[in-house]
Amino acid sequence: MAEYWGIKVEDIFNTMQERFRPEGAKDVDAVFGYDIKDEGKWKLTVKNNEMKIDKTSDLAGCIATMEADGETFVGVNTGKVDATNAFMSGKVKVEGDMGAFGKTGKLFRKYVIAQKEMTVKDYLADMFATVVSRFKAKEAEGLEASFAFDLGGQEGGKWTVFIKDKVCTVTTTIEGKPTVTLEFNDAKDYVDFILGKIDAQSILAAGKASAKGDINMMASKWPILFEKYKDPMGGNIPEQELIVLKKTISVNQKFSTGPIMGKFLKGLKDKKIYANKCPQCGRLQLPPREVCAECRVRAADFVEVGPKGEVRYMDLVYYAMPDPLTGVARETPYGGINILFDGCKGNETLPHFIRKDQIEKIQMGWNEKKGTRVRPVWEENRTGDIWDIKYFEIDE
Amino acid sequence: MAHKKNRNVGIIGIGQTKHSSHREDVNQPELIHEAVSLALKDAKLTMKDIDCVVHGNMELFEMVHSPDLWHVLGTGAYGKECIRITTGGTVGATISCASDNLVASGMYDIVMAIGFEKLQEGHTTGGITNMACPLWFRKIQAGALTGSSAYDVEREFGVERADKASLTYRIIMDKHAGLNPNAHRAFGLEFSQIDDLIRTSPKLVGNLKLIEMCSQSDGACCVIFACEKKAKEIAKTPVWIRDHITVHKEENFNIFGYDRKFPVLKTHKFAAENLFKRNGITDPINYFDVFEMYDPASWWAIDWIRDFFGLKGDEHLKLIEDKEIMIGGKMPINPSGGVIGSNPIGATALIRVAEAAMQVRGNAGPHQIPTPVNHALASGFGGTMWTVMTMLEKELNW
Repeated sequence: MAEYWGIKVEDIFNTMQERFRPEGAKDVDAVFGYDIKDEGKWKLTVKNNEMKIDKTSDLAGCIATMEADGETFVGVNTGKVDATNAFMSGKVKVEGDMGAFGKTGKLFRKYVIAQKEMTVKDYLADMFATVVSRFKAKEAEGLEASFAFDLGGQEGGKWTVFIKDKVCTVTTTIEGKPTVTLEFNDAKDYVDFILGKIDAQSILAAGKASAKGDINMMASKWPILFEKYKDPMGGNIPEQELIVLKKTISVNQKFSTGPIMGKFLKGLKDKKIYANKCPQCGRLQLPPREVCAECRVRAADFVEVGPKGEVRYMDLVYYAMPDPLTGVARETPYGGINILFDGCKGNETLPHFIRKDQIEKIQMGWNEKKGTRVRPVWEENRTGDIWDIKYFEIDE
Repeated sequence: MAHKKNRNVGIIGIGQTKHSSHREDVNQPELIHEAVSLALKDAKLTMKDIDCVVHGNMELFEMVHSPDLWHVLGTGAYGKECIRITTGGTVGATISCASDNLVASGMYDIVMAIGFEKLQEGHTTGGITNMACPLWFRKIQAGALTGSSAYDVEREFGVERADKASLTYRIIMDKHAGLNPNAHRAFGLEFSQIDDLIRTSPKLVGNLKLIEMCSQSDGACCVIFACEKKAKEIAKTPVWIRDHITVHKEENFNIFGYDRKFPVLKTHKFAAENLFKRNGITDPINYFDVFEMYDPASWWAIDWIRDFFGLKGDEHLKLIEDKEIMIGGKMPINPSGGVIGSNPIGATALIRVAEAAMQVRGNAGPHQIPTPVNHALASGFGGTMWTVMTMLEKELNW
C-alpha cells in the first residue's frame, strides 16, 4: 500500500472509530461509501450515534459514495490538500446524495499526523547530514579550513567539516589539527543552541562549552558559509502567531416605505396585490415604484392584479444560502419563482417562493406554453410585509 | 462621437497582488499596499508624484464604514486628494473611468485607482443581499446566484450542447489561470473531464454548478493614469484609453417574463452597440485583439460573448467550441483566467482593465498573447445587470 506524507489510506479508515464524534452523528442514519482508486472500497454505517467501517467489494445501498485517489484522500483528511479545491476540480467526487454526504464532515475529529519525536541523536545526524547541502560554495573562495565538533554525553559524537577548493566534506572523526574545535559537554546543549533555544553566550559563560583555535572562524565565517539549519519538526510554525479577530454584527434597522410602496404593503395586509401603472408607457410595476424608470415620470395609479398567476421562471436552489435577516442557511432545496399575475403582461412578474413539496411539479411558461398556475397562501396575522404571503402553491 | 476629452489619458503603472483565499498574514491596508507599491515600481514613481487617489470596493462587504480612512495607511493617500467610489461589481471599472475623467478634465495630471476586496473578512452573500431593496426584496433574495443563464442557453441550444459549451469555456479559463501567476484558482482541468464534471460537479442553482461559479478571493489591484504629456515622459509604452461607457438599468429584475413580444433590454448588448457605433467600429470581433470580460460564471460568459460582439445565432458557441477564445485563438478572452479564476470583487473589474493593458504593453508574462495586441476591450458587470466597458489602444491614432 502506498504511503502519502507517511500515511496509508488504511490508516485513515482504521482510526475512524477512535476519531468518531457521536455528537456529530445525531440524526444521521445512513451508509456511506468510499471508493479509493487502486486501494479499495470501504462502507461506513452510521446509526444510533454509533459507527461501523468495513472494507468491502460492494458499495450497493450507500446513500452517497466518495471517489478519490489515495493521495487526494489522505491529503484531504490530513489537511495537506485543500478539500474545496479537490472537490471543485473533480479530484474528489461524490456520487449519490451530496447533501447527505456533507454530514460526514461532522462525524470525525481530524486525523492528526503522528509527530515522531526527534532525539538529540536524530538531530545531530540530521544536522551533519545536511551540512554539505547547506554549504554555499561561492562564499568559500580561496578558503581552506576544518571545523571540528566534539560533542559529549551519551548521544554525542565527533565530526569534522572540511572546506577546500570550494568543496565541503564531513567525517565522523577528529584528526590532525583543525582550524577551530568546538567542544560541548552535553550534545543536547549544542542541538538546543542550533535550534535557537539557548544562546551561545550563556552556554560559554556557564562553562558548558568552549572553543579552541581560530574562534572567529567559527563565530563569523560559519554563518556565512552555511545556510541556517531548518528544524524538520518546526518547519510550519510561523515566527509570530497571526491573530484573526472574529466579530458578529447584529443591528436593528427601520426603513420608511413612503406612500407608493406603503400602498403595496398595506394591500398585502388586506390580501390584495397592487401594481402601479406608468401614465406614459402603460407598463405595470410590481411591486409599485415611485416613478417609471424608463419614462422618468411619476406613477401614482394603482391596479389590483392576481392574486393568482402563472410561473414563468423558477430558480431551483440547492446551495444553502443564508437568510439575510437571520444569518441562518435556508433549508434546501427551495424554489424561487417569478409569477406573472392575472392582469400583468411581459416582464411584470413578482418573485416569491413555492411550497416546498411542490417544487418538482412546477412548469415554467413562455409564449407557447402556459406555466403552472399558482395562488398565494396568506399568513393569518398580516403586518404589511412581503411575508404576509407565506408562499405560493399550485392552483388546481 | 466618442467621449469628448480635453486631453488624452494613458495607463502608466499596474500592480496587483496574488489573489488568494488565504491572506490571514496581512490586514486590509497591508494588502492594498502590496498592489500600490507594485504599481509605483512599475511606473518608476513614488507617492509624491500622485496627485489624486481613487479608492473603490464593495459597499460594506467587509462591514467597514469609510474603508478609505483605514486604508489610507496602505493607499498612501495621506495629505492627498482621495475620492471613494462604490458601484457594486462594476466598481473596479468605475474607478478606472473616474480616473480617466479626472485626468482628461485637466484637474489632475496623475491619478491612482485602487480596487480592493478581502472577501474572507466579510460575508459576500450577506453583502449582496443587503444591497437589495430593504422594503421587500431583501427578504426574497439570497446572494448573486441564479440558474437563469443556464436555462436560457439550454432552451436555445439544447441541454447537451449548452452544458458542453459552458464546461469548455470553464476549462479554457482554468488553462489560462494556470498561466497567470496571480490567479487564485487554477485546478489543472483537462478537456477530457468535461463529461465527468457535468455529471459530478454539485449544482448550486438550477444547472449552475459549483465548478462554473467564480471564487471568493482576497486581492487588490492598482492602476496609475497620466495625461498624455506626462505619460509619454514617464512610460515606455503607455496604454491609451480611447473611450468608456457605463449603462445602468432599474433596480428590479424585470427580466423573467419569457415573452418574445416583450424583449429584455440587455445592458451589455446596449453598451457595446453604442460604444462601437460612436467609435466607428463596425466589426468588433475582428477589430479587438483581446477581451478581458467580467465573467462571474461560465454560463453568463458564454451568453454574453454574443451580446458584446453582436454575434448572430450560434456564432458565440462556435467560438468556444473551436477554442478560438483561447490564447492564440481568433478572439482571445480572459488570458488572465478571468473572474472565474480570481474574484476580489472591488478589484475584479479594475483587473480586467489592468490585464487588458498588460496585453497591449506586451508584458503580461506567461499568459501574454503571442501576436501583437493593438486594440483591447475590458468589461465590468454588477448590480441588476449593469455594464461598464473600456477600450484601450496601443497607438494614439484613432
